[in-house]
Amino acid sequence: MQRFNFTVVQPDPALEELRTELQTFLKEEREAGNFRPEPECWMASADPEFSKKMGQRGWIGLTWSSQYGGHDKTALERYIVTEETLRAGAPVAAHWIADRQHAPMLLEHGTEEQKLDILPRIAAGQCYFAIGLSEPGAGSDLANVKTKAEKVDGGWKINGLKIWSSGAHMSHYMVAILRTSPADGRNRHVGLSQIMVDLSLPGVTVKPIVDLSGDAHFNEVYFEDVIVPDDCLLGEEGGGWKQVTGELAMERSGPERFLSSYITLETALWQLSGKMGSDSQARLGKLIANLRTLRGMSWGIANLLRDGVSPETEAALVKDLGNRLENDLTQQVRALLVDLPAEEWSPDMRRIMNIGILRSPPNTLRGGTTEVMRGITARQLGLR
Amino acid sequence: MINTEAMVAETATKIFTDLCGREVPHQAEAGHYPAELWDALTENGLPVAWVSEDNGGFGADYDEIFGAIWASAQAAAPVPFAETLIANWMLDQAGLAPADGSASFALSGHTPAADIPFGMQADKIILFDAAHQEVSLFDNREAVRSAEEALSPDGMTQFVFSGHVAEQSAKTNLSRRAFEALILTVRAVQMAATIERALNLSIDYVSQREQFGRPLSKFQAIQHQLAVAASESAAATMAATQAASAMILHRDNPEKAWHEAVIAKVQISHSVEAVTVPFHQVHGAMGYTQEYDLHHYTRRLWAWRDALGNEHHWSKQLGEELAATSPDQIWQGVTTGDWTGGWQVAS
Repeated sequence: MQRFNFTVVQPDPALEELRTELQTFLKEEREAGNFRPEPECWMASADPEFSKKMGQRGWIGLTWSSQYGGHDKTALERYIVTEETLRAGAPVAAHWIADRQHAPMLLEHGTEEQKLDILPRIAAGQCYFAIGLSEPGAGSDLANVKTKAEKVDGGWKINGLKIWSSGAHMSHYMVAILRTSPADGRNRHVGLSQIMVDLSLPGVTVKPIVDLSGDAHFNEVYFEDVIVPDDCLLGEEGGGWKQVTGELAMERSGPERFLSSYITLETALWQLSGKMGSDSQARLGKLIANLRTLRGMSWGIANLLRDGVSPETEAALVKDLGNRLENDLTQQVRALLVDLPAEEWSPDMRRIMNIGILRSPPNTLRGGTTEVMRGITARQLGLR
Repeated sequence: MINTEAMVAETATKIFTDLCGREVPHQAEAGHYPAELWDALTENGLPVAWVSEDNGGFGADYDEIFGAIWASAQAAAPVPFAETLIANWMLDQAGLAPADGSASFALSGHTPAADIPFGMQADKIILFDAAHQEVSLFDNREAVRSAEEALSPDGMTQFVFSGHVAEQSAKTNLSRRAFEALILTVRAVQMAATIERALNLSIDYVSQREQFGRPLSKFQAIQHQLAVAASESAAATMAATQAASAMILHRDNPEKAWHEAVIAKVQISHSVEAVTVPFHQVHGAMGYTQEYDLHHYTRRLWAWRDALGNEHHWSKQLGEELAATSPDQIWQGVTTGDWTGGWQVAS
């Protein structure tokens, strides 16, 4: 018996054809000057025009039914699209979160009317979602959320504050985890529910938070007596904790957990062609071995997800290893570049490297900190 | 795949469970070679599993034998099981009959003196000479050999090939890379299995050992050390599985499995330090004693990461090749496992 089981799935010709189409499109867009590649593009590089183009080509909403504007494909096609856009450093942040987790959530818990209304717009790259998990007093200790939804006639009244919501300033909806009834003594996991909020409603205020590099891609979102209709409750009233845990497993194992900084390596490799010394070659060998291994793990999980299995522990392992790798990657590239005199660096190289460094601190925080990931693993090992 | 549930793998697992209990590796170190264990493996045809049927073996699939190797490594079996499998595979590639008895192996480039595991116990030594694409069989009992201070309980023997006449030699079509692919893949499977077993030992130990009035497992500092080691263990299993799958995919041309095998070697050997340090740390002084089992695993990891060249050697080999290709080719390798262009459809 093996403790960890990651299936190896060999590539498939249809998927590789899709990959080629993506590569051609991304190259053309980049060469036409329609985007400048950036690390952490899925989080911090948003361009609604680019998202619309992705939507027109059928590269958003791959996994859901055409009845709702989707493309009847699997998590594997979606995986190919995400890894190719990450490699290119393309501006995909606008639609990323809705495509990754909120559309599947609506498919599972939304009303028919919501599905028909919202899902086609997500697939078209025109409707964006923000995550509403953290609060000032609820970071790693997520169960400590205080933002409340009270039952009112025909709906829910929301009061409180969500924080670190990436893209909320350009999103149409947020799915927030809210307290709909008090905790049961020390059990704080009960009484939490997931509610979808239209961010254009009266009483919603989105305030940008400027990050250390001067960018403002995450936000505070205030709710003052915001009224949403009954059908905005997604899933079971009081069942929010369990739903969120499942959602996070999906969120933690994707290629964005280890390929966010690949564009930095890619950019360096083009310039270092024929110039790498023997130390650099050894560095490159190790780095690529690590990347290939992580990609195998993450791809194995994508296959499990396609089959309806949600491997929480394996996802936590991938996130921990992947976050360490993407931060290490940037440092390894800095070392590789000693083979290239600074005056020969392309302007892109320095820009991408610097953005990568400035955007590195959240890698090991968002989606569950490294410490939380290790706690999940330790529980699975039977240590807690 | 590493199939630990195939029939052959289950037969092997049963043999190791019955005849390789925790006392066996200890007794072997005290000089009592477990002949009964070796005989049971031989009676079941396991050491010739990869030899083709018309050459006296049973032409088993790679995946099930990788499963048997996994079981052997987890039992810290002190017999040259993996070595004999590899040696007989090498002979088979040159159309030579499997070795009579146990065997170990060496690749040229290390001659005249090679570091041979189980070099004092194995009946035969098989050498692949890349320059002449030739596989040779030597009788080990008459060899000039010397055992040095070794990292592993399997020993490290210097064998003088020059001036020693091979009993048999034959040409093979396979290149050095094909041999490296198989050997590195087998070692990767052994190492991943060994890391996992040592992780399990560590989990058991910290759950039982109490300090400050509670089990060590309840301290967050211990939990996080083992969580990191567990992630390395999972990555090692993945790397070994990926290499094993490449061998299966390219069974007719093992040279094409070379990159995935080297990647497994680099990934796992680099992680040896990242796992053996916490394993020993959480065991305290107990893990440093001969009486306790941990060293049967950690010492083998230290030896295997050096075998056929260490992680730095192979990182450079791999990096040198990659640096000579294009970023597009590197990306194709990372995403599809096809490192040489013209990727192949899974069979």
